[in-house]
Amino acid sequence: MMAGSESPTMQVNIVAADRPVWHGEARSVTIPASEGGMGILPNHEPVLTVIKQGMVTVVSADGTRQTLEVADGFISFDSNKLTVAVERAGDVRPAASDDE
Amino acid sequence: MGSQLALKSRIASTSSLEKIFNAQEMIASSHIAKARKVAMDAKPYSDAIFDAVQAVVAHTHVNHRIAVGDETNPRVAVLALTADRGMAGAYTSSIIRETEDLLARLDAKGKQPELYVYGRRGVTYYKYRNRAIADTWEGDTDKPGVEIAEAISKALIDAYMTPADQGGVSELYIVYTEFINMVSQKVRVLRMLPVEIVTPEVEDEGPINAEDAPLARPLYSFEPSVDVVLDAILPKYIQSRIHECLLEAAASETASRQNAMHTATENARNLIDDLTRKLNSSRQAAITQELTEIIGSADALNTKEE
Repeated sequence: MMAGSESPTMQVNIVAADRPVWHGEARSVTIPASEGGMGILPNHEPVLTVIKQGMVTVVSADGTRQTLEVADGFISFDSNKLTVAVERAGDVRPAASDDE
Repeated sequence: MGSQLALKSRIASTSSLEKIFNAQEMIASSHIAKARKVAMDAKPYSDAIFDAVQAVVAHTHVNHRIAVGDETNPRVAVLALTADRGMAGAYTSSIIRETEDLLARLDAKGKQPELYVYGRRGVTYYKYRNRAIADTWEGDTDKPGVEIAEAISKALIDAYMTPADQGGVSELYIVYTEFINMVSQKVRVLRMLPVEIVTPEVEDEGPINAEDAPLARPLYSFEPSVDVVLDAILPKYIQSRIHECLLEAAASETASRQNAMHTATENARNLIDDLTRKLNSSRQAAITQELTEIIGSADALNTKEE
């Protein structure tokens, strides 16, 4: 991914069935799509996909990585806005290492 | 007068009732804030689902089983949302009245309604009358979580997805109490299944580029496929709408409990005032009687001496 301060970002909104979980600007998001992991970068084409149980990784605008566990939901991306809607979500935690 | 003692004990018992009512009222008003917060917290999720469903609908002609009912199957499901506890005024009885009305209407149309009941008060009402109930849920009406919404929607969607010849239903109605504001709540009947999917209106989002202006909505790609996405999202949509109904019913229940307890507290206070007045007048009457007796006998003694 491109370094530098003005790397593009997108708006991310993660919601669980009973509460909003996280929202903010992000450089990239990795989601557990039903057919394997899927990375989403800003200005992705509009997509709506089902996700299964797994980890969502968010690289936020300042470059910090955060992960959270999710189960059973879907994501939709359009006009540079990503919505992750899941039934259940764990707490947002800073990612341990750089790769996975 | 012996009634003084009786009045005193009635005043004592009424004032302890008043304390209970007052406490219940305060408990209910503290729950309202919580119920409102829970409802607010669930809103982003249901909005997201609604948007997704709209996106799919804009894209394809939906003839999914959930959106298209089976007209030939006369069996329908009715879910009544009642309260677990009493002391909420007419909350449960209005729901039951509306449910009975709906059942009668459906009967008249030649349908065969099956009853699902949520909330202990409704369950006991129907059990006591030996009515056939398809399924019941209890114990969560003042704080309905995702789990209960999941259980209810799973049972109902299962019933809906079952083929007609195996006892499936073709429609689902929900009778619940809409929360308008703190003082007014209204019983409503909602047809949940088959889903009526409204054609999306033109978006009012500001920046629409010239090239995609005629489309109004972005062209989504669906992964793995439209059908898989629909299969996954429509049940979630139903579940989130059922959850919304449960949350609204919980808020209404708390509000009507608070109102009922407020009225009860006022009534208890009025009753105490009345009883105190009666007690005073009866005490006064006793004193007056004693005085008249004393004066009368003193008079009698005086006249003898003369």
